[in-house]
Amino acid sequence: MTPSSVLLNLALSFAGLSALCLAMDRHHRAIFRVAPSRRQARALRGAGWCGIAASFAAAVILADWNFGPVQWLGSLTGAALLVVGLVSYRPRWIRPAALAALPLAAAAAFLA
Amino acid sequence: MKPGFRQSMAWLHTWAGLVTGWVMFCVFVTGTATYYRADISHWMRPELQAAAVEPGVAVERGAAYLKVHAPKAVAWFVSVPQAERPLLDVYWFDSFETPIRQATLDAGTGAPTTVRATQGGDFLYRFHYELQMMPGLGRWIVGASALVLLVALMSGIVTHRRIFSDFFTFRRDKSAQRGWLDAHNVTGVLALPFHLMITYTGIVTLAFTLMPWGITSAYRGDELRFFVEAGQSPAWRAAAGRPADALPLAPLMARAQAEVSEPLEMAIINNPGDAASTVVAVFEEPKGLAHRHPQVVFEATSGAVIARFGTLKPAAHVFTSFLGLHEAHFAGPALRGLFFLCGLLGSATIATGLVLWAVARAPKAGAVPGFALSLVRGLNLGTILGLPIGIAAFFLANRLLPVAMNERATWEGAVFFAAWGLAAMVGLARPYARTWREMGAAAALLFLSVPLVSALTTDRGLDFAGFDAAMIAIGLTLAWGARKVSHYRGPARLRAATAPEALARA
Repeated sequence: MTPSSVLLNLALSFAGLSALCLAMDRHHRAIFRVAPSRRQARALRGAGWCGIAASFAAAVILADWNFGPVQWLGSLTGAALLVVGLVSYRPRWIRPAALAALPLAAAAAFLA
Repeated sequence: MKPGFRQSMAWLHTWAGLVTGWVMFCVFVTGTATYYRADISHWMRPELQAAAVEPGVAVERGAAYLKVHAPKAVAWFVSVPQAERPLLDVYWFDSFETPIRQATLDAGTGAPTTVRATQGGDFLYRFHYELQMMPGLGRWIVGASALVLLVALMSGIVTHRRIFSDFFTFRRDKSAQRGWLDAHNVTGVLALPFHLMITYTGIVTLAFTLMPWGITSAYRGDELRFFVEAGQSPAWRAAAGRPADALPLAPLMARAQAEVSEPLEMAIINNPGDAASTVVAVFEEPKGLAHRHPQVVFEATSGAVIARFGTLKPAAHVFTSFLGLHEAHFAGPALRGLFFLCGLLGSATIATGLVLWAVARAPKAGAVPGFALSLVRGLNLGTILGLPIGIAAFFLANRLLPVAMNERATWEGAVFFAAWGLAAMVGLARPYARTWREMGAAAALLFLSVPLVSALTTDRGLDFAGFDAAMIAIGLTLAWGARKVSHYRGPARLRAATAPEALARA
């Protein structure tokens, strides 16, 4: 339950939820002016769920079955709030932020 | 026509949410603050500097004080000073019928402390589940409201048709009602696991208050035995009625500590000075979700170990795990931050729901709002902005009331209620949009003045930088909200339609 393991959780959850958000017509349109193609949407959805699953795995490995799920749910809430904030105030920042979250996750994994 | 299932649930959600909303908003806000109870207590006792004291020595010091001041007590409790509370707290019962009594001692000397009298973070903590009322009544109100809130949560999930497709959606550019509904949905859905967990486990912690009959009928007036059989507290040993010399406490504590890896938290001396006296060493909870404390019980005169407590039976383990999950003592700084955020989201869900009720029933322009709507608007103002104003005033009172004042700790609480009551009366008297702006600005100023007043009245430098930063963040958020309200002119297309009319009237 070290800060770096929570950071890893947050980064993975954020990247995953951003992908899920971009897979949705309404939000994709707000950012790129067009709806995602069916293949894009499927790929984004797949990547999104992978991120969330990876976040869960990281939580359970680093924080045990006792605290892991608690930490995972907490990080999902925190990350989702960030996605909602970005998508309604700074929609264009979502993609770079989600991409930046990946190396951040790698760095946090290295520290944790 | 018979309303459908979803309509019925929407009705239930609306009214269950409204009747419990005000109480639960206060419970959520003070509960969220309680995640930082130790930090708040620390800030409220600025004279206190941490001094390392051996736990055994501290217990001896507390017992020495009690020997002089409470020689006839049936039980003594000495809590060991901790890093986050470097004071020696002693408690005692003169008899089982009288309320518990308490004194706070200096950990280094064992004499009554000269630190300013304050309830610290415990004030907000007790408000969280007792509303600072008579304990029985307060717990009943909070427990019953929490039960109804659980109903509101469940019916809210059914009512919300588009949980997944609106998961990330917050539309600010449509109507006011749409914006408030989206805010209510987003804050509710994003932290839904937390909302369900915290409400349910909160009800569980009050289970013995809400449903005492199981224990009452099974144990017939001997409720203490329930906790003994559940493995949560040692059996009570009646006094022998003849005095006897007890062994020194420090060596007993050291022997108990040798068996347990967690630090010592408290020593309990039952029937002090009696031949049948017992000494209980209580330790902090081990790492884990469950909220339980290992204990070692000694015979005070011989030093023989009578009992050991550590592992719990399954039902008690589940109960204490729920308790642990609710209190989150296990959470490190980062996870604690997330719990705090979830608590804020819970408060926001309730606040936006209350506002939404009033916004959805707003009369047409020019029409006079009815009594019910004015009442709800007034109560919304008085609660959503009144409570923060009360909390800020409470913090300011801690710094501004004279240190040597009589009943000082009580006065701090009085300032909290006075400031809140004043704000609530202003809200009820003027339930208008303008009042949101003015009271929001007042609350923001109060929070922003807390670090300033603290810096002028204490000399702790940057010791409380975290607390000060939190006050500034809350103040700025309130200021931003007040500005938003004052600049809000309704959605763009409505504005275009009404502008000529406004011009015509002018």
